[in-house]
Amino acid sequence: MGGDVGAPHVVLDGVDKRYATSSGPVDALACVSLTVDAGEFCTLIGPSGCGKSTLLGMLGGLVTPDAGRVLVDGRPVNGPDPRRAATVFQEAGLFPWRTTLENIEFGLELQGVARERRRAAATELLGPLGLRDFAGKYPRELSGGMRQRVAIGRALAIDTPIVLMDEPFGALDEQTRLLMGEWLLDIWRRTRKTVVFVTHSLQEALALSTRVIIMTARPGRIKSVVELPLPYPRAMESAELVALRAKLWSEIREESLRAMGDV
Amino acid sequence: MDRITIRIRIVQIVSVAALLAAWEAIARAGWVDPLFVPAPSAVTGAMLRVGALAMAGLGDTLAKTAVAYVISVVLGVGGGLVLGSIRSVRQAVNPFVIALYGMPKILVLPWIVLLLGFGTLPAVVYGAIHGVFPILVLVSGAVRDVDHTWLTVARAFGARRRQLYWKVVLPAIVPTVLTGMRLGIVFCLLGVLIVEMFAGVRGMGHVLGSFANGFQAPELFAATALVSMASIVIVLSLDALNDRLSHWRGEAR
Amino acid sequence: MSVALIRAGIVVVALGAWEVFGRLANPLLYVPPSAALPALGRLLTLESYPDLGEHLLLTLREIAVAYGLAIAAGVGGGAVLGLNRLLGRAYGPILAALYAVPAVVWYPSLMLFFGLDAASKIAFGFLLGFFPIALAVLAGIRQVNVQLVTVARAFGASDLVVFRKVMLPAMLFTLAGGLRTGLALSVIGVIVGEVLGSKAGMGSLINHAYGLFRTADYVALVVVTLVLILASDAVAGVVEQRARRWTE
Repeated sequence: MGGDVGAPHVVLDGVDKRYATSSGPVDALACVSLTVDAGEFCTLIGPSGCGKSTLLGMLGGLVTPDAGRVLVDGRPVNGPDPRRAATVFQEAGLFPWRTTLENIEFGLELQGVARERRRAAATELLGPLGLRDFAGKYPRELSGGMRQRVAIGRALAIDTPIVLMDEPFGALDEQTRLLMGEWLLDIWRRTRKTVVFVTHSLQEALALSTRVIIMTARPGRIKSVVELPLPYPRAMESAELVALRAKLWSEIREESLRAMGDV
Repeated sequence: MDRITIRIRIVQIVSVAALLAAWEAIARAGWVDPLFVPAPSAVTGAMLRVGALAMAGLGDTLAKTAVAYVISVVLGVGGGLVLGSIRSVRQAVNPFVIALYGMPKILVLPWIVLLLGFGTLPAVVYGAIHGVFPILVLVSGAVRDVDHTWLTVARAFGARRRQLYWKVVLPAIVPTVLTGMRLGIVFCLLGVLIVEMFAGVRGMGHVLGSFANGFQAPELFAATALVSMASIVIVLSLDALNDRLSHWRGEAR
Repeated sequence: MSVALIRAGIVVVALGAWEVFGRLANPLLYVPPSAALPALGRLLTLESYPDLGEHLLLTLREIAVAYGLAIAAGVGGGAVLGLNRLLGRAYGPILAALYAVPAVVWYPSLMLFFGLDAASKIAFGFLLGFFPIALAVLAGIRQVNVQLVTVARAFGASDLVVFRKVMLPAMLFTLAGGLRTGLALSVIGVIVGEVLGSKAGMGSLINHAYGLFRTADYVALVVVTLVLILASDAVAGVVEQRARRWTE
């Protein structure tokens, strides 16, 4: 487990990433350094193309930095490690030939957990996921929100200290997004995992996070870090949050304009 | 059954019945030479007479087809997996595969018979050659087109290479493999029949050829009907199997 | 290394291996390239088969007639089934079921009826080419924009006019694909028919060379026939490209 709550859990140190494209090399990230403490709900927000998904990929071991280091618990990240971090993608990425239960237990299956044990673990999660009646259904029979819940369930099933989420609610309509955010918050508060959450939505960032990291337009750097030591559930209309929203928006807006003009 | 389906069935049954009736009438009236166009009643009689012989021939053909089919599926799926997974090999070899797929295999038939003689072996080999290409092309395409998200997800959850194949690629390509297998059986059967007609000593192709050479029209029609029905049954069965195994895909196929 | 270079390399290595293997094993049976090329030369100079031209022309004529009939019946039949919903739904499945039968089972019956002459080859080529064309017409009609048809009908157009002036242009692309496949299959049908039993045509020459164990001549004949097939498909491909440009 990642040490005591509040201790540094994930560290990015001077990380670069460059991609070769048909129109020449593109700097996705330039000298990014940040720390995420254990038990935090840390949100990465920024304009399109700022490299937040690349960053998340590095934390998950799917992307290798061209320079700098990625450390978890003080140890370098060399590749995906399902004992360390679980990822939830924007497209749920459920396997259409597997039922809800089979999708949830996928990670456990890869690790060689015995059938009865992994079936039991997956079934236990159905309650909190709100999917008790859908255990045997296939993805095509589920709504978008349900599919994302299965994807999150799949990530929770392997019980990693860190959960990485790349715009998991991006493809959902607004009402579903709000409800999913509430539900996610509930799960997080019960399990106290370290969550790194990428989003476009300022509302989500403010409602869910303990800390918000704003990134610049490409090449992505850390523009600012805002701590949100506020109680849950968040009173979105309170003076404090309104002021915070205005502040965050002005910074994000600046970078968004820069990203748009940069086309 | 709703009204439309009833009307459709009526049209189908009436057309077939009318066709048979007209055919019988024309044959009886003597407007066609019974040597070339036998009456349906004569065909039915012939079916009883040579039924056993025809069934034996059919069994022979189907046995060879089965062997050729197994070879085609193994080589086609195996080769398709390799071709679809390894980009460098695929780029270098693909045009040759496509060219061989499109080439009429009949042109190499005489040479195969020269090489392997008459009988079972050339039939199996030629049938396998016919059946392997559609499967190979379909499977390699399917492997190449496996949804990248699934692969990324599996890797993110720590899947090793072997697990990637077993748990993602293979299940993902099942629908295409089934389509390929359905195509393959018809092609294998076709290949075996052609060899039997060209250089066969047994099997349905040879039976049909003998009846044709002997101007035994009713027997020929009966045997043709028999092998046609067998083929339709096989294909429909594979279709039904396909539907059952792909139920997780829903209507999209 | 460029891909084209690798492919050329594969061809060279394959030819080389064939040459070595052929010489060592049984040159008569395996016909290494060094034996095949002179045979090709003898064929093209009409030395080995002086009446090559006649046979080639016969095969081409058979293909042309078979294909022409396939187009007429395929477009006509496909149109009838596509336009009349009841007939289409009644006979469509029957057509699809017949397509599942390997076409060669019909050939002995055709040989019985038409004999060994060109007629049976034409009939077989017609049979093979008919199905993809009819099915393409059927599919093409189904995907025509219903609105276009409704507008035409509202202006009083009859079924035939609707088909000619609205549907045909709209489904040109699907139709072109079906026509191309139909040509390929008609060609194969004619050649298979000739190889399986005929007195004239390219297939019969192939059969003849095979029967006399004249393997080098056989290879040369196969090459020439292959060129014929590729040429016909290339022409069809060009027509298909043109059709694609018109419909876009």
